[in-house]
Amino acid sequence: MLRRLRSLSRAIKSRSDFEQGMTEELRFHIEQYTDELVRSGVPRQEAVRRARVEFGSVDSVEEECRQARGLRPFDELARQLRHAARLLSKTPRFTATALLTLAVCIGANLTIFAVVEAILLRPLPFPDAGRLVTMYNTYPKAGVDRDGSSTANYYERRGTIPAFASVAIYSYGAAVVGEPGSTELEKIAAVSPDFFTTLGVGPSLGRGFTEAETSLDDDNVVILTDIYWRKYFASDPQVIGRQIRVNGASNTIVGVLPPGFRFLSSDTRLYFPFATRPEDRSSTQRHSGGNSKQMIARLKPGATLEQAQAQIDAQNRALEGNDPEAKMIADAGFRSVVAPLHEDYVRSIRPVLLWMQAGAFALLLIGAVNLTNLLLIRASGRAKEIAVRQALGAGRWHVISEATVETTLITLAGGLLGLAAGGFGIRLLSILAVDRLPLGGHIAIDFRLAAIALLGAAVMGIALAVPIAWFNLRGHLNSAIQSEARGGTSSRAAQSLRHGFIVAQIALATVLLTGAGLLGLSLKRAMAVSPGFRPDHVLSGQISVPYSDWDAQLAFNERLLQDLSSQPGVRAAGLVNVLPLSGDNGKSSATVEGHVRQPGESPRGNYSYGVDGDYFAAMGFSLLEGRFLTADDSRRGRRVCVVDDDFAHYYWPHTSALGQHLFEGDQMASEDQGFTVVGVVGAAKQAGLTDLTAQGAVYYPYALRRDGRLSVVVRTSQRPELFGLTLQKIVRQIDPDVPVNDVVPMDTRIADSLVAQRSPALLAGIFSAIAVLLVAVGIYGVLSYAVAQRRREIGVRMALGARPGQIRSQFLAVALRLLIAGTILGAVGAWLAGRAMRTLLFEVPSLDVTILAAAVGIIGSISLLACLLPSQRATRISPVDALAGL
Amino acid sequence: MGKPAELLPGTLDMLILKAVSLKPLHGYGVLQRIQQISRNALEIPQGSLYPALYRLEHQQLIAAEWGVSDNNRRAKYYTLTAAGRRRLREETAGWNRLASAIGAALSTTPEEV
Repeated sequence: MLRRLRSLSRAIKSRSDFEQGMTEELRFHIEQYTDELVRSGVPRQEAVRRARVEFGSVDSVEEECRQARGLRPFDELARQLRHAARLLSKTPRFTATALLTLAVCIGANLTIFAVVEAILLRPLPFPDAGRLVTMYNTYPKAGVDRDGSSTANYYERRGTIPAFASVAIYSYGAAVVGEPGSTELEKIAAVSPDFFTTLGVGPSLGRGFTEAETSLDDDNVVILTDIYWRKYFASDPQVIGRQIRVNGASNTIVGVLPPGFRFLSSDTRLYFPFATRPEDRSSTQRHSGGNSKQMIARLKPGATLEQAQAQIDAQNRALEGNDPEAKMIADAGFRSVVAPLHEDYVRSIRPVLLWMQAGAFALLLIGAVNLTNLLLIRASGRAKEIAVRQALGAGRWHVISEATVETTLITLAGGLLGLAAGGFGIRLLSILAVDRLPLGGHIAIDFRLAAIALLGAAVMGIALAVPIAWFNLRGHLNSAIQSEARGGTSSRAAQSLRHGFIVAQIALATVLLTGAGLLGLSLKRAMAVSPGFRPDHVLSGQISVPYSDWDAQLAFNERLLQDLSSQPGVRAAGLVNVLPLSGDNGKSSATVEGHVRQPGESPRGNYSYGVDGDYFAAMGFSLLEGRFLTADDSRRGRRVCVVDDDFAHYYWPHTSALGQHLFEGDQMASEDQGFTVVGVVGAAKQAGLTDLTAQGAVYYPYALRRDGRLSVVVRTSQRPELFGLTLQKIVRQIDPDVPVNDVVPMDTRIADSLVAQRSPALLAGIFSAIAVLLVAVGIYGVLSYAVAQRRREIGVRMALGARPGQIRSQFLAVALRLLIAGTILGAVGAWLAGRAMRTLLFEVPSLDVTILAAAVGIIGSISLLACLLPSQRATRISPVDALAGL
Repeated sequence: MGKPAELLPGTLDMLILKAVSLKPLHGYGVLQRIQQISRNALEIPQGSLYPALYRLEHQQLIAAEWGVSDNNRRAKYYTLTAAGRRRLREETAGWNRLASAIGAALSTTPEEV
């Protein structure tokens, strides 16, 4: 079998050699025979004739030889391809419509699939990545769903969980790297020594971190990523042992990571040891995760996630015995969740992506239905020709393969165009900032995806051929041949098939349009949410402060605030450790003096901030009671704080919050550690505009919190963007080593926080616009055909006195019936889809009557427009011409 | 010598293999050789020879190579491959069994029944 295939492939490869050789061989035979006849005494002319006659038809011998060599199917295929290409080029309008439809539909699917593949399907780039898990602490009853893991968690779990081969902890950060005057801010990560062994990929040069390097005295070592090594050390293999300056201190390079090493989507350039003080590792710090530290682990071969979870649960139960806060932690519903790393990382984006893929697929279905209808119409036009050919002996198989060749040719060509459209789609996605999605930086159409797309196109071609072949093979031979009409009759079955397709199309488009409407409305509602402050005219930026000395940091703050407020056009300037809606804000707890938790009442997590300068004025918070915090509070270290409306309402529903005492952390401390509430401000959105629960927030003086993170906000009188350069300059003047980045107006920041809502809404909008267009094309095509089919009938009726209006309304009635059926189906579909995508919606019911009505209105009016043209054409048919068969 | 006999179906392949096994031959040579070794008792329709040759080449029972004929013309010469030799042996044995069986059957006299 294999040998035969090889012989066949040789014959195909050197096809012209094969043909030439065969002709030569046969000619040689005939000439030899002629010569022999001449030698035996036959006159030359007669010999030539006899040799030819005895040999028989050279053409048919050649054909038999080709068949013997297995070449027949290929010749037949080539012939059918030529035939199909000729037919397609004869109907350029049909061909262009079909190709455009396919390009758009396949392109849309390819684009979305590229995203789905990169984010959901492709395994993480580590060996046996399916065994990597992450862990996080959750306190659901305190309103804290995720709180990372603590250093204590890591040390307690190391080597004690049998299901894990290894565990590791890491945290992200930034560091100022380089010699004075030429520093760069680099993204860094602090990782425990077992981080690289857990992932299964370690330094390709040098070594990983050692246990000794997790002590703060001995942690001046660094591992470079390949990118950093290339950029700053020109891939110097002798780099191990050299020093780089990080945050003012010298660090020894001990390793270099291999090219392409990337943990999730992090842009980390340098890795440092996860070094901690012994007291950070103690069990009293078990619940101080705060979302900045995360744990990963690798499951042992054969161990399951459930086993790991059970072992973690058992350990937590055992450890709680010695936990001073055990009761409170239990009341908060504490649990440590083990989840697959990849799945957990993309969990937020998964439903959106799947819905987008469903939308793209619906588009493809509409396109395919359109094509089927157009192809069926084409087939009806050729029914007579095909019937005649069948009568003359064309076999079933021939009819089927001819239809398949034609449809596959179209879909493959459309698939190639779809690849181009997909490439364009990926570009469009990058404008939509899809690369900011988790794992979104790896989206690309590679060879594999292109192959999948073309394979899909081929499958679609075969699927499209089914109805065409069915239509051509149905026993309508006689009626088609006998029918006087040029194109043969349109059978009832074929007509209802076409109409059924139109109804399905309208229904699908209605679902898509309604879905897009729901997402759009949801985005609009989210954008209309007030963040709780006035984000207009506010410029914000993050400052990376390299000082380990707290007083130096405070001195920097003071100088910065002074310089900023002396600038013209600055109305107010303030500092905060973390900006709201930046995605970096975690929750912690505060203990209110005099508040006794009722039975069943969980401890509450709340957002806490350290603020300096005129933060509240700069952000535009509203003051409800008392006063704002000032720069003076921070400077003098006054133990005062401001709470927001939600916090005040929860703890002091009946009295004023002013003058009350609270403590940072989850227990009361000595009286001098307390804070007195001096003001109440309006509640602001903290994690996202679509936050539903109000968790409350407490604002402390910056100086009293020892949280080195720093963001600056400036309220300006002109457009805030214009102040960006001044801000950079002022910071550089104070300390040239301190970089400011992420300088963005606050309202842009808020709009960007909606990227997860905006992109799907926009994509769904594009999809449904295309869907509506496709429906219009489909209806137009089918109705035009119906009019052309019934020319004669219309002619007769007009000759008998029918008015144009009657003719027109006859066709409009057909369209209207289809439209109504499609809309009803579509409404049901829209309701189901809306219910299923409830998680994506914000303050929008799953079936919004206005949106549904609008969708139906749009599709209805466009469909009616699409059938008005052919109906109008019907009224202009001249009875004389129609009856004459012109 | 009477009228040449028609070939039984399936026997042409066997005869081609036999002809080619004696000496490499071009297509016309194969025809002549079959007529020669069958003492002109078999008639080969000329047109059916080539499809058979191409089929055998496709099955790699014979191999083809371009060479030069006696009268100095370019011609395609066929030789037997190892697989072809095996097939010829099998077919010859099969044919002999069949021929003797049929011969025995046809020579049966009433006494032997």
